[in-house]
Amino acid sequence: MSGPILRAEHLTKTFGSGNTEVRAVDDVSLDVARGELVAIMGPSGSGKTTLVSMLGALLRPSSGTIAIDGVDITTLGETGLSRLRAQKIGFIFQSFNLLEVLSVEDNVLFPAHLALGGVKAARPRAAALLERLNLTHRRVALPRTLSGGEKQRVAIARALINQPRLIFADEPTGNLDSQSGQEVMMILHDIARDQGCSVVLVSHDQRIEDVADRILWLEDGALRDRKAEPHSWVRDPVCGMRVDGWTASLFAEHHGRRYVFCSRRCLERFEAEPDRYAESAVQPSPSAERSE
Amino acid sequence: MASISAVAGAFALVLFFEAVFAGESDQIVAYIEHSDADVWVMQKGVSNMHMATSFVWDWKADRVEAIEAVNRVTPILYLNTVMEAGARNWFSFIVGLEEGDPRAGPWEMVAGEAHPGPGEAVVPSVLSDLTGLGIGDGVSIAGRDFSIVGLSGDTFSMANSITFIAMADLSDIMSTIGSTSYLLVDAAPGVDGAALAARIRETVEKVNALPKAEFIDSDWEVAMQMGLEIIGLMTFIGGTLAIMLTGFIVYTHVAQRERELAVMKALGVRDRAIYAGIMFQVGCITVLAFLLAAGLVSLAVPLTEWLVPQITLSVTAEALLRVGAAAVAVSLAASVMPVRKVVGVDPVSAFHE
Repeated sequence: MSGPILRAEHLTKTFGSGNTEVRAVDDVSLDVARGELVAIMGPSGSGKTTLVSMLGALLRPSSGTIAIDGVDITTLGETGLSRLRAQKIGFIFQSFNLLEVLSVEDNVLFPAHLALGGVKAARPRAAALLERLNLTHRRVALPRTLSGGEKQRVAIARALINQPRLIFADEPTGNLDSQSGQEVMMILHDIARDQGCSVVLVSHDQRIEDVADRILWLEDGALRDRKAEPHSWVRDPVCGMRVDGWTASLFAEHHGRRYVFCSRRCLERFEAEPDRYAESAVQPSPSAERSE
Repeated sequence: MASISAVAGAFALVLFFEAVFAGESDQIVAYIEHSDADVWVMQKGVSNMHMATSFVWDWKADRVEAIEAVNRVTPILYLNTVMEAGARNWFSFIVGLEEGDPRAGPWEMVAGEAHPGPGEAVVPSVLSDLTGLGIGDGVSIAGRDFSIVGLSGDTFSMANSITFIAMADLSDIMSTIGSTSYLLVDAAPGVDGAALAARIRETVEKVNALPKAEFIDSDWEVAMQMGLEIIGLMTFIGGTLAIMLTGFIVYTHVAQRERELAVMKALGVRDRAIYAGIMFQVGCITVLAFLLAAGLVSLAVPLTEWLVPQITLSVTAEALLRVGAAAVAVSLAASVMPVRKVVGVDPVSAFHE
């Protein structure tokens, strides 16, 4: 099959109704090619996780269609969706989500119980994955004894055990130190390049830009054009610290102007005396502090 | 293991209450049970022994003895009263025995004589343990002093204890002349107890005669009305607690694993498979808890009887089966409770930090 592995058209997801209705994802359309690594970035609360949940057959859209490998998944029942997730999709979570009572090897093999070949057929693949991810020596260890990087590598092996066509990764480097995060990103890059497995990745981590084939920018539930500049530096009006306006998650509106903050403490101080900080704030234009 | 221990604790509680219930029930009718009489004869209108008063004239005893189908008649006098022993009052069933007739006396002796003479008493050995009184020491019944000559076994419980004295002494205490309380009647070989009881009721006026089994049932029913209902209620409360505790533990167990359930759902595990897993888990917890409870109770029963000898405990196969059946019901109920929890688990929550 030569078409895109994932095609989403006019996806919308709303929560609540009437005055409390929130449009978390708003008319999003996208294609993901086979073997492509697509990063979805955007500020906190922009709808990234909701979008990935829908693309990963975990959440039904309010409207729109999603096709995985040519199959419209919005028409599938719960059983069909479970089967699809088990056989064609792999998930990698920010907080690893390993099953604490199972060993490393059993965690990796867990999804194989749900696949056609079963655990027996998956054992050689599990051994190869553990070898490739440098986890063979930790094969019988319990998750609580692993480092963060090791846990995430186990989660990656688990995601790959059923040889899925698609992997969804939600902030896979979010709980890792710099070195482990870099390692995980390179593994995901290799998975897409070497195995032809498409990876859709949600991240705040700027380093993903170095390995992703394509960056999608989600803001207020809709995909928008990514600005030419990789960063939009503005100053926190309270402490004066430089903050990236694209990825910052703490905002306040005052007299029609938008202010960005480095921390909740600065935001709270601003909200206590907005006029004081707004007057003294000098918000330089993005171009003035452009940075590569 | 903590869950299994907690559920085992609840089952052990139920088994223990059942053991108290069974032990006390047995003890209420122990005296009748151990008598080898086929028929019990008493005053008309009386149908039990526990807390009852009965008078049967001696001439009626002679009439009963004269019936062809009767092999032997043993009269006893009987009084519910308080016995003073070791500076404390003990509620007692006092049985007056004919001198020289061992027939209606204690069925198990721990020490001393089984057949009291004038001014002598055979008291429960547990009473001796509790009060420190021994053979040769004195007790007081209705203001009259008696010397302990024997210590009987299996004659003491929370509900009653049995003390044996000479019939002449009890007759004196009760101021009765020419009457007894009950007649223990042996049927002639080949004669059915029920048929003999009916014959006695027809032949001797103003007496009631009951076959042994019917007399036991009747006495047990009265005892139930008077006190065992409380124990029954305690058993019911214990059972209800066990069910609630088991349900709560299992529900909490599932709730604690909510995130793992979300992950499993996200990875493609169907709800049906999760239910099966939970039922298997609950089944294992319940079976192991029941076995642990049975083991705990088998240790607790002799220990309790040693520490608190006034309590009579009895673990019966029937009680084990009943609690086992309750355990299965608890297991099923406890498996159903978390289903709503499982249904409510959103696989998307696996994405949340």
